[in-house]
Order: sequence, then C-alpha cells, then structure tokens
Amino acid sequence: MALVETQDLVKNYELGGETVRAVDGVSLSIDRGEYVAIMGASGSGKSTFMNMIGCLDIPTSGEVRIDDIATGDRDGDALAELRNQKIGFVFQQFNLLARTTALDNVAVPLIYAGLGGDERRAKAKAKLEEMGLGDRLDHSPAKLSGGQQQRVAIARALVTDPVILLADEPTGALDSKTSEDIMQIFQTLNDQGITIIVVTHEAEIADHAKRRIEFRDGKVIEDIMTKKRRKAGA
Amino acid sequence: MMGNLVQKASGWLVNVAIAMTALRTNLMRSILTTLGVMIGVFAVTLAVAVGSGAQVSVMQSINALGSNMALVFPQPDTGEGGRRSFDRGRLTMRDARAIEKQISGIDDIAPQLRTNIQLVVAGRNASTNAVGTTPGYGKVSNVVAESGRFISEADVRSAARVVVLGPSVARKLFGDYDPVGETVRINRAPFNVIGVLESKGSSFGNDNDDIAIMPITTTRQRFSGDTLSGPDDLQMLFVGFEDGVSLPTAKREITKLLRERYRVRGKDINPFTIRTTEEFMKESAQVTGIFQIVLVAIASISLLVGGIGIMNIMLVSVTERTREIGLRMALGAKRSDIRNQFLVEAAVLCVIGGAMGLILAIAGGTALTVYADFPVPIGVGVGIGAIIFSAFIGLLFGGYPAVRASRLSPIEALRSE
Ligand SMILES: Nc1ncnc2c1ncn2[C@@H]1O[C@H](COP(=O)(O)OP(=O)(O)OP(=O)(O)O)[C@@H](O)[C@H]1O
Ligand SMILES: [Mg+2]
Repeated sequence: MALVETQDLVKNYELGGETVRAVDGVSLSIDRGEYVAIMGASGSGKSTFMNMIGCLDIPTSGEVRIDDIATGDRDGDALAELRNQKIGFVFQQFNLLARTTALDNVAVPLIYAGLGGDERRAKAKAKLEEMGLGDRLDHSPAKLSGGQQQRVAIARALVTDPVILLADEPTGALDSKTSEDIMQIFQTLNDQGITIIVVTHEAEIADHAKRRIEFRDGKVIEDIMTKKRRKAGA
Repeated sequence: MMGNLVQKASGWLVNVAIAMTALRTNLMRSILTTLGVMIGVFAVTLAVAVGSGAQVSVMQSINALGSNMALVFPQPDTGEGGRRSFDRGRLTMRDARAIEKQISGIDDIAPQLRTNIQLVVAGRNASTNAVGTTPGYGKVSNVVAESGRFISEADVRSAARVVVLGPSVARKLFGDYDPVGETVRINRAPFNVIGVLESKGSSFGNDNDDIAIMPITTTRQRFSGDTLSGPDDLQMLFVGFEDGVSLPTAKREITKLLRERYRVRGKDINPFTIRTTEEFMKESAQVTGIFQIVLVAIASISLLVGGIGIMNIMLVSVTERTREIGLRMALGAKRSDIRNQFLVEAAVLCVIGGAMGLILAIAGGTALTVYADFPVPIGVGVGIGAIIFSAFIGLLFGGYPAVRASRLSPIEALRSE
C-alpha cells in the first residue's frame, strides 16, 4: 500500500498576471520503506512538490494522500496534527530556534503532541543520544557545528516517530565530509524502516537512494529504481 | 478529563516559558514596552486611590461637623423659585427655642454668631474665627475640652468674657504651655481662657482646630456691631438629632414650623434655608464620584497608550519571528497554539508592567498620605484589579497581532526571511 500518493498534482503561482506552473500534473506513489531522491534543475518544482506532500502547501488542484488519508478535505489544524504525527522535516538551513538548547529544540514537536515536560525531555534526550549528541544537550545552535546542527534537526524530525522523513537539500549548507555523515544517518534510518524522500542537486547524495525521480518544468521526466544500493560505511 | 486538564495547564506553562525566552532575547525592548504599561497602571491605580481618598476626606470633614444634624441659615431659599416676600433671611433665638421645644428627637441645639477676632497675649497674636454659641455646640458638633472646660449656661447668662481655644490657636499664642486660667486680649478686651478643645485634625487642608468658642451673648454684646439687623438674630443654627431620627422628616417638620412662624404661604420663598448632613454627604458623594471618573478617564489615556505600545511591539515580534511561526506550524503547532503563544507573551509583558505600576502607585500613595496629609488608600482589591486589568490589556492589544500570526500559511511563513 502506498504511503504517499499524488494524483494530478498541480501548483500554480500567479506572478504579474502570468501563471507559473510550478508543479504540473504529477501522479506518483511512494511505498513504505522507500528511499527516494528527487532531482532536477533549479526551479523545476522540487521544493514545491515536497511542500505539498508535506502538507505545508495547498495544491491548486489534484490530491495528496498520506498513509491513506486524503489531505484535501482537512483544515489547517488537522493538517498540523497530521504533520506532527506522520511527517518529519529536515531543512537546508536547519531551522533551529536560536538561543534555545538542543534539547529544547528537539522537544518542540512534542509540545504540540501534547506531552508533559518530563516525557518531552526524556524522549528528546534519547533522540539526541541516538544522533551522537548526548554531550551537547544544553548547547544552543550557535555553539554547534553545521553538521551537529543538522543532526539536532534530524533528531527533532524523528522525535515524534514519524513514518516519513522529508529533507529538502539537507546537505546544501554542509561540506562533503559532513554531508557524508548525514547520509550515513539517513541510510541507517531507512534500514530501520523509515521512508525517506530527499531533494538534492548532488549525484553522490542521490546515489544513496533506492529510487530517483527527476523533475523538469514541474513534470516528472524520469522515475527509476537505482539498483546499486551502497552498504553502510562503504 | 483530569489528564486533559493537566495537559492544558502544561501547554500554557510551555507558552509562558516560550514567552519569557522571547522577552529575554529582546530585553531592552521588553523593558521599554513594559514601562508604558507600568506608567498606565500607575496612573489609573493612583487615580482610583486619590478619588476614593477624596471621598474619605469629604466624609471626614462632614463628620467633623457633627454626624446627624440639620443646619439652618437665615438665607432666603431660592431653590424652588416662588414669590419673594422677604428682603432678607430670618432666623432668631426665639425660632431656635421654638424648634427645640416643638420638634421631636432633638439631642441639642447650637445657635451661633460667627465673627473674626484678634487674640493677643504677651506680644503674640493670632486671628481666628470665633463661634459665639451655647453649651449645646459641644454636643452637636462633637467637640469637648481636652483641658479646662467648655462654656456653660451660666457663662451664656452672664455674657462672661471667657473663651475656649482650639488647639491651633492655643499653640500659636502659648506654645506647649497649657493656657487654662490665662488671660488673652480679644479686640482689646481681656478674656479668661477656660479651656482648650480636643484636636479634630484637618480636612482638605482646612484646619479644624483654628477656632475659638465663647458664649453667644458675649459675641452679641462685643463683636456683632452692625452686621445684624435684629437684637435676637442668629447667623446659624445647628440642630443635632438623636441616632435613628430621619433627617428628611425632621427637615420637613422644621420647615413647617418656621413657615408658620413667618407666615409663609403657598409657593412663597422661605426666608431661611435648611440643609442636613445627609444632604451634604449625598452631594459630596456625587461630586467626588464625578471627580473620580474624570481622574480615571484621564489616567486611562496613558494606559491606552501603553496598550498601543504593546500592540506595536507584538506586531514587530510577529513579523520578526514569522519564520519561527512557520517552523512551529511545520512541526505541528495548531493555529490556537501560535495564537496563545503570542497572547501569553503580551499578557506576561502587561502583568509585569502592571505589577511594577502597582508597586509605584503604592509608593506614590504612601508618599501622598504621609507628606500631603491626604489619604490615598490602595486596597488589596485595587491591587488585584490592576493586575487583572493589565492582563486584560495584554490580551486586548496582543490579540490582533496574535491572531494575525496564527493566520499565516505555514509555507509562506517558513519561506520568509
Ligand atoms: N511563492 C512563490 N511565488 C511565485 N512563484 C514561486 C513561488 N515559489 C516557487 N515559485 C516558482 O515555482 C517554480 C518552482 O520553484 P521551486 O522552489 O519548487 O523550485 P526548486 O526545484 O525547488 O528549485 P531549487 O533547486 O532552486 O530549490 C519556480 O519557477 C519558482 O520561481
Ligand atoms: Mg528548492
């Protein structure tokens, strides 16, 4: 059964009387446990597509189903709940709260899940330890390296145990060595059964994925299973 | 149900924590914003307190007059506007005796002649208002001699040259020395000081102790000169009633009696005026009530300005943190979560400002009470009211920015720079 399913997904932007078709009729389905890389030239609609399957943006037309839930007829609060429970986001710019400790940053989604303070801290601590940041709990983002910040962000994305991890250019702000570390983490997560969709420009990053989808002018022009699956640590 | 409640409470606590972090991040700005609310709450709280202090003061000065009495003046009562058959007011000693005899419930009466006098003793002098009256004055006006004695019936009968001094006059002439038995010259004639009154303090900067009391007969003989037209005329009459006597009824009865005595008919104007302490109280309450409303209204403007400051800063805060709002929404924050976060932030600002304003008002009120001799009571009620009111201001003026923040689309908020 498909975990993410889109049907004729369209997103138009009106710009000075002109209509920009950012996403132009995309129908595809992604199964549980997949590891998908989305590629394509700048402006081809990758981010717009990601935002719609992440329920952050409302499609102009067409449909997005997450875990067999139709998202079109849900209001903003119901979508917020859906994001909180099923989707984890990793951003290019990390998007951590400044002057807030790593622990508190990771605990933010749990606030909105309605968990009490002790439970929030315990879960956030466990996730940070999984990311190898057990000794950085009280550090604010300014005192962390880029790679560490992105690992905090990943811990935050995973703290509610979502089924999908959406990452839009997660290594775009990192050097190649650190990027490789992040990719190792993604690999491990996928091995644990988390579905991962990652937008990237870089072939080396895309090479980690099991499936590659290529966008051009808002349309999918290629959608292939890449057989070569690298082993962790290779 | 219970768990739900705990969850809600902890949700609010989180909002308070988020708010405190945000406020600390922009400490200077937060302090300045708080200042606006502080000044507003200070002004309103003090205005309320000054208003009720004025009320207390007025009541005190009316009580100083005597609690349950009617005041009769020889002044045509033009209040009702009828035919005027008297060229001047009428009130005589005989009227006073008739009232005392025929009206029920009277405790005592105090007919009066008032005049300004000069007192001189051993090179020191003082001028004051002399009340020529009868022993009844003591009872009706609640004054007693602290040392020596009050004037007696015998003093009145013999028009004795005796005087009872108010504490302020006694101090001016004799310092701390007890003057009972001493002689003072009043308008050149020697008078024997027979007593000093107990202090009645001051109300509205008016010294109730700056007074001298002597027998009415003495005043009439020596000081009234040509100010009175009849040998029996009075300038004022206090009629003191026993507790529980209805003053409106008593006033009606006195009016009826005096109208008969002066043969006033129908709608003709009375040649006398009667006022009761009850009327004074009602009128003063009205006046001080208006005074208070005006004061609070003016003070409220500064609170309004403070509130607008809050709204301004919250709008800036929302704009600055649009990206944070988008992020929180992406992570699962509902509209209400975002709205509450900013509402709590505004409320925290206001409550801190309100608390500081209240402290300032208590300090100001205490200073006024101590240094200006003007009671400014800031009660627990006013304090709690000020805090609740400032939280309300926060919700009111923080409401618009908070709702605006909660209406943002997650993706647009996230993309903003
Ligand atoms: N808010 C917006 N308003 C108007 N046009 C937009 C908006 N967001 C995106 N677009 C347009 O939609 C198209 C697709 O943009 P999108 O961000 O999805 O591209 P992308 O593939 O993610 O590019 P990049 O690799 O540079 O991130 C672009 O032409 C862009 O100009
Ligand atoms: Mg993009």
